[in-house]
Amino acid sequence: MTELKDTLKKLISLSGLSGNEAPAREVIRAAWEPLVDEISVSPIGSLHALRRGTGPEPRPSILLAAHMDAIGLMITGIQDGLLRFTEVGGVDPRILPGLRVTIHGRKDLPAIVVQPPDYLLDPTQRGKSVAMDHLFIDTGLEEQDVNDLVRIGDLASFAQEPLELSGKTIVGHSLDNRISVAAITYCLQELQHMVHTWDVWAVATVQEEETLGGGFTSPFEINPTVAVAIDVTFAKGPGANDWRTVGLSKGPTLAWGPNTHPYIHKKFLDVVEQLEIPYQKEYIPRHSGTDAYAMQVVAGGFPTMVIGIPLRYMHTPVEMIALKDMERAGRLLAETIVRLEVDFMEKITWDEVKDEE
Amino acid sequence: MKSLIKKLVETVGPSGYESKIREVVRAEVEKYADEISVDAMGNLIVKKGEKKEGGLKVMLSAHIDEIGVMVTHVDKNGFARFTTIGGVRPHTCYGSRVRFLDGTIGVIGGERLENANHVHAIEAMYIDVGAASFEDCPVKIGDVASFDRPFEDLGNRLVSKAMDDRVCAAVLIETLKLVKISPHELYFVFSTQEEVGLRGATTAAYSIDPDLGIAADVTMTGDTPRGIKMDVALGKGPAIKVKDGGMLADPKVVDAMVRCAQKHEIPYQLEVLLGGTTDAKAMQISRAGMPAGCVSVPTRYVHTPSEMVDINDLNNAVKLLTAFISEPIKLA
Repeated sequence: MTELKDTLKKLISLSGLSGNEAPAREVIRAAWEPLVDEISVSPIGSLHALRRGTGPEPRPSILLAAHMDAIGLMITGIQDGLLRFTEVGGVDPRILPGLRVTIHGRKDLPAIVVQPPDYLLDPTQRGKSVAMDHLFIDTGLEEQDVNDLVRIGDLASFAQEPLELSGKTIVGHSLDNRISVAAITYCLQELQHMVHTWDVWAVATVQEEETLGGGFTSPFEINPTVAVAIDVTFAKGPGANDWRTVGLSKGPTLAWGPNTHPYIHKKFLDVVEQLEIPYQKEYIPRHSGTDAYAMQVVAGGFPTMVIGIPLRYMHTPVEMIALKDMERAGRLLAETIVRLEVDFMEKITWDEVKDEE
Repeated sequence: MKSLIKKLVETVGPSGYESKIREVVRAEVEKYADEISVDAMGNLIVKKGEKKEGGLKVMLSAHIDEIGVMVTHVDKNGFARFTTIGGVRPHTCYGSRVRFLDGTIGVIGGERLENANHVHAIEAMYIDVGAASFEDCPVKIGDVASFDRPFEDLGNRLVSKAMDDRVCAAVLIETLKLVKISPHELYFVFSTQEEVGLRGATTAAYSIDPDLGIAADVTMTGDTPRGIKMDVALGKGPAIKVKDGGMLADPKVVDAMVRCAQKHEIPYQLEVLLGGTTDAKAMQISRAGMPAGCVSVPTRYVHTPSEMVDINDLNNAVKLLTAFISEPIKLA
C-alpha cells in the first residue's frame, strides 16, 4: 500500500496533459509491468496491459479503463514576453490567478498565472473573476528568451505538489483520474493471489478530458466482452451537498443509467453486498462524462459499467480523494473479476434485472 | 492555381449534395491517380503509390461539401422558408443570394424587424426566387442551395464563398500533381459531409485504415480589427494545427510537420483554434486510432459568403504537404 501511495503521488506530480500523456504512461507502465503478461501502446498512446485468465480459449475478457490524461493549459500567444493561454480539458478560470505552473517549452520553465490589477483591467472584467483570455502566464524571463524557449501550442501543467491530509486523504492535481489508475493497479495487485478465468485488460486511456479519444479506440483493438470505466465523481463538499453529490470516504459508486448495462451493474452490486464493501449508488441519466460513453458504442457495441471514486474540488489543483475509496474500488474490481464465470455472458437476460429503488 | 480555385468554389455542393463538385474534382485528378473510387458516402478516393520500405499508408483529406440552405416550406405567394446546412450564421444571410443545384437564383429577404438593430432569426427569413405564386415557384421542399458570390482575385488575396474547404481541395489536387517519388501509399480523399459532422471522413478513414491521417482545412485568423485573439494571420504561411475545438493533434505529427517546414524553409504558423474542428478528428479516433494532424489555410470571415485567403499560404501549403509526403515520416 505504501508503494501504491508513492506511485500515486508520483503520478500526480507529473504533467501528461490530454494528447501528451507520455510522462504519465511511463510511470504507469513501470507499475503495471510486473503485474501483467503483455503490455503495449495503442496508435494514439493508450496503455494496454493484459493479464491472462485461466479459462479455456477463446477466453472472455474485461477491459478496465481509467484515463491517465490531465487537464491543464496551452499557450496560444506570446505578447511582450508574457504568455496568453487556453485550457486543455475544462479548467475553471476562477482558480487560476496566483497558480504555479510548469511550461513545457524547449525546456521546462517554472511560471505563474497572473492577472492585471483590477483598476487596470478592461471595464468588462472588473470586480469579478477574470476570464481566461484576460489572464497571462509570466515566466520571469526576458522577452527574447521567452521567444526562444516557448512556442504556440506548448503546454503548461499545474505544479501543485501532492499533499497528504488527515483522514487518509490526498490532495493534488490530476487525481482526476490518476486515482482510478491507482485503483486498477490495486486490483491487479489483488489478482496476483487470486484465480480468474477471464482475461483482464488494464487500460490507461488518453484524451478523455477533450475527446474521449482513448475510450473510442481501445475497445476496437481489444474487443473485450465487458468494458468498465473507472473515473472520479463529485463528492460532497462546501456548498455542494445535494443529490448530485456522494460522500467522500463512503465507498466507490456504482453508476446506473444509459451508459451502464443493467446486468453488469447487478454483478457488481451482488459483489459489494456479499462482501459488505461500502458503496454508493450514482444515478447518471445521460452522458456519464466517462470513457464508458464512448466504449459503449465502439464497433458493434459493448456492455459497459461505470465505477466512480468520490472526489472533491474537481478540475482544480487541489482535488481531494480518500485513499480508502480507491482501495475499495480496486478490491471491488478484483472480487468481481474472480466471480466472472466462463459462461457469465450466456446468463445475461434483460427481463430479470430490475433497479432495486 | 487561381483558375482551379475559381472553378472549385463556384460549383454548388452543400453537404450531402456533392455530386457536381465531385465530378469537377474527378476531372482534375483522374490522370494523376493510380486508382480512383467513390464510396457509399460519396467520398472521392484517389490512391497513388504503394507502401515501400520506411513508408506509411497516409490518408489526406479535404472536404468538398460547403455550408448552404435547404427549403422547408413554400408559401402561396412563392416565398421559400429555409433551414441551414452546416454552420450558417443568421447575420450572413439577409441580402445574400443563393444558387440551387439546378441553377435557380434566389435572394434572402426577411420579415420586418421591430428593431432595425437586431439580426433576423433564420425562421424570420425567406428565399425569394422571383416567383409570383406557389405554382410558379421553381423550388420545392428539400431543394438545397449554396450561397452565391463570385470569385474575386484581389492579387495576393482571393475572396469567394466556399473557400472552406475548396481551397484545400485545390491544395490536395496540386500536391497530387507534384508528388513524384514517395515511400508512402497515399490516399487523397475529397470528403463529403464535413460541415454536418465529419461524416465522409469517418467512413473513408475506416475503409482505408491508414497509419497516419492528415486533414487540410481552413482555420480562422486573429489579424482583423478587434477580432478574436488568435496568433494566426493571413499570408504568414500555412498553419500546423496543435489543437482545435474538437481534437488535439498528435504531438509527434506536429513536430514532424514543423521539422519538415524548417528543413525546406517553408513559412508556417502554429495554430490553436478555440472552436470548430476538421476531418482529422474523425481520422484520429477511427478504429483503434491513428496519429493525426492538420495543415490549415488561414482564412478570414469563415462561414460567410466572402471568405478570404492568401495565395501565398496556398502555395506554401502545397509545398509543405508535398515535401511532407515525399519523404519518410518520422513519428518520434
